[in-house]
Amino acid sequence: MNQSVILHTEDLHRRFGGVLATNAVNIEFRENRLKSIIGPNGAGKTTLINVITGRLPASSGAILFQDRDITSQPAHRLTALGICRTFQITSIFMGLTVFENVRISKQMQRGGSFRIFSTKGSLKKVNAETWEILERLDLKDKAHVPSSNLAHGDQRLLEVAMALASEPKILFLDEPTAGMSPAETEHIAQMIKGLSENISVALVEHDMDVVMTISDEITVLHQGTIIAEGPPEEIQKNQMVKEAYLGGG
Amino acid sequence: MEEMNDAHMKKPGGFVFRLVALVVVVACLALFPFVITNRFYISLLNEMMIYGLLAMSLDVLLGYTGLLSFMHNAYLGIGAYIVGLFLIHIAPSSIWLALLVGVVGTTVIAVPVGWVQVRTGGLAFALLTLAFGMMFFTVAWKWYDLTGGDDGLMGVPQPDVQLGGWVLGNSGDPTVMYFLTLAVLLICLVVTWRIIHSPFGSVLEAIRENEDRAAFVGINVRKYKLLGWTFACMLASISGGLYILYRGYIGPTSMHAFAGAAVLMMVLLGGMGTLWGPIVGAGIFILMQDYISTMTEHWELFVGLVVILLVLFMPRGFVGLSDLFRFRKE
Repeated sequence: MNQSVILHTEDLHRRFGGVLATNAVNIEFRENRLKSIIGPNGAGKTTLINVITGRLPASSGAILFQDRDITSQPAHRLTALGICRTFQITSIFMGLTVFENVRISKQMQRGGSFRIFSTKGSLKKVNAETWEILERLDLKDKAHVPSSNLAHGDQRLLEVAMALASEPKILFLDEPTAGMSPAETEHIAQMIKGLSENISVALVEHDMDVVMTISDEITVLHQGTIIAEGPPEEIQKNQMVKEAYLGGG
Repeated sequence: MEEMNDAHMKKPGGFVFRLVALVVVVACLALFPFVITNRFYISLLNEMMIYGLLAMSLDVLLGYTGLLSFMHNAYLGIGAYIVGLFLIHIAPSSIWLALLVGVVGTTVIAVPVGWVQVRTGGLAFALLTLAFGMMFFTVAWKWYDLTGGDDGLMGVPQPDVQLGGWVLGNSGDPTVMYFLTLAVLLICLVVTWRIIHSPFGSVLEAIRENEDRAAFVGINVRKYKLLGWTFACMLASISGGLYILYRGYIGPTSMHAFAGAAVLMMVLLGGMGTLWGPIVGAGIFILMQDYISTMTEHWELFVGLVVILLVLFMPRGFVGLSDLFRFRKE
């Protein structure tokens, strides 16, 4: 199993006014590994993902993807490189069908967007691969439903499908189980675990059962800084982590 | 699998129905000048179609890319002035070349303007269209030597409409112009419909639906917004070329913000995001304007009232009318 580092940051900072939401973060993500980023509310987990995936510019420091500096690259270029994400608050194309949501993502990955006189159906490979992804995530039956009509859990799943259509090498998932039932959570957790067999997965998650069960490695953030890192068993025993969560120390 | 691939593109109505409807409407429009020979009505319908093309071009921007332009009429104006100046100063009899120069010239102006505008979105974008539009209006109004100032561009030659050496008639003849406009509108509608429903069009729709998310499926949002903008301005410039051929005149008032608001109303009246809706909207608006202005000089007051009522009771515009006759499936 290949476990070389695919993406890492060097002394990454992100400032909001006087607040350092990301403070000297050095974090690395390995191929075929699932790394969870946890921490109390306001620890800077989402900010870290936003900076790495190009949603926010870094204040200082560097981000390297396959040893190539990608700091301050625009989001669409990072997506093309294979750095993909989902959002904490569901972000999909509400007015489009489930199929079209995934298809457009696939089209951008495969190319063909400048075929101005062709039909959408003419991109055979794009369509076929879109069906594959919908099948894989059990969304096939709902392909022609407007995505705004989907249940919350299915919308979260659709977002993952859109990210997968971009063929990520590393996938950032920002609280994918938020607002889901226990059964749905269990289902999506297993799916995420499955994904990490082929790509690098970075997971921000509040559900500790999920985190402890499926993570290969956990990074704990507190006030923008990494305070602990290691396999789940180690993190569970870590005194500093307990204090951070209990608001002590 | 193959049927399912196509199924997601089927909307109520269906392709055959649309095609039949289009053929019937075009046939009626083509027969109109033979039935109603009164030149006034032919000219009126001609104007509806010219503004229909402009409204359709704004729909590409508003209904498909999600960008609001308050002064899309500026690009009708720019196209018209360029075509007019070309006919006056360079080649008074080259109708196709003049229209082509109008499109190319407008594109050369629209691209840098768009390049600035697409750095923003939403309200900021709309305000920039207003700022640029008012600047263009001022140029048309004050640059007397070039544009004729508030007198407008007068004495524009009206060349013969030729097709491969075959003279179809003179563009000063309302009936000839009517058929030219009808043909150009039809071609523009079909080509635009094709482009909007292409893979390229689906990128624009994604931007309309969620600009933030679009970047994270790999869309270079600024680039595609600029392409959508440029396409919309090119279409608008074609309507400008037809406008000056039909009237032999263009004045700065057609580039004023009031006229820009009128185009926006045409799109909303007809129903945005359909292409054909705004064309119908332009027809309704111009008919209303023409009819009410024969009764009172304060016609804007009543047009405004009708628009308010329509927005309140038919928020989707004229295209929403079909909802009333469609059985709900649920």
